[in-house]
Amino acid sequence: MLICPSYKIFGVRLEGSAKMKVPGGKMVEVKVEFGEAVTKARILGDFFMYPDTALEGIESLLVGTQPQESEAAIAKRISTLVKLEGATMIGLTPEAIANVVKRAIENAMESNKA
Amino acid sequence: MRMQWRVIKLETRSAASNMAVDNAIMDGIKAGTSGPTMRFYRWMPSAVSIGRFQSMEEEVNVARCKELGVSYVRRITGGGAVYHDSEGEITYSVIAPEEEFPKNIIESYRLICGWVISGLASLGISAEFAPINDIIVKGKKISGNAQARKEGVLLQHGTVLYSTNLKRMFSLLKVSSEKISDKMIKNAEDRVTRVTDHADTTLDGLYDALLAGFVEGKDYEFGALDHDEAAKAEDLAGKVYAADSWNFSR
Repeated sequence: MLICPSYKIFGVRLEGSAKMKVPGGKMVEVKVEFGEAVTKARILGDFFMYPDTALEGIESLLVGTQPQESEAAIAKRISTLVKLEGATMIGLTPEAIANVVKRAIENAMESNKA
Repeated sequence: MRMQWRVIKLETRSAASNMAVDNAIMDGIKAGTSGPTMRFYRWMPSAVSIGRFQSMEEEVNVARCKELGVSYVRRITGGGAVYHDSEGEITYSVIAPEEEFPKNIIESYRLICGWVISGLASLGISAEFAPINDIIVKGKKISGNAQARKEGVLLQHGTVLYSTNLKRMFSLLKVSSEKISDKMIKNAEDRVTRVTDHADTTLDGLYDALLAGFVEGKDYEFGALDHDEAAKAEDLAGKVYAADSWNFSR
């Protein structure tokens, strides 16, 4: 029997989500669709972001995220984009999004093992 | 030169219409055809509004809304889900050029929430701003607020609970699984409070108090939507705010 990490199975589309209450901030939930990397990401919650279109930019940025990528690296990418777009987050941080993205990916992979 | 405000008196509209009016005024200010506006309104039928980035299906018991004839709509402001009881709540919108408010978002919430706090004070209610976006009385939330800033225009939505039916409110808003037990729902109810819990006043009395708090020290005149705003609002209400493509877009 060939044993390999479930997320490397070609053509398999997994789904996972995770959420957290940002300390001193708001609720954030991330839903991912996942093949060998993230193919779709959706960020939900009661946070504030100005301009609102910046959130779609972050969701697009997360497409292609590999499971090996560290939380810090994901946070850095988000932070760079936020600065580039001149966006402001209230009740949410790049680090919080990265943390939830990582857990959403892990949950997607776990769901495939189950 | 001091800013001249237009004040639209307390009126009642559907959920889609209320959101569309704000949007139309924002567009007018952006285009230079509308002036800074504050409006007070109620919702008929009662409605649930969700924040710009929330999921309708995750936040709202849509089946229960349909059963009770309660509308639902997505706001363009962030923040959380709110139940707008047609008889038990007043909502306001402040719409103006962003440059008229502190650039710091929390400070701009503090400023506008101060108008609400001033109004409540005239009813003998001692309220305080609780960052990020709440107003509390004795530690319990009485008002939630949410801002959008788009292309140089600020919109702040806020709601003041007057006599909202809390049991109905929590039957329409989905609470996460750990809060489903009766005990936890009771705790959720315990986190909010209403004007009628603290003052003997009518809904009109609350409106008068809020109005006074909002216009204090400002140049203003009462007004209504102009023809273009009304036409735009009607169009947006049908095409956007009543449409599943917007309300269920997340």
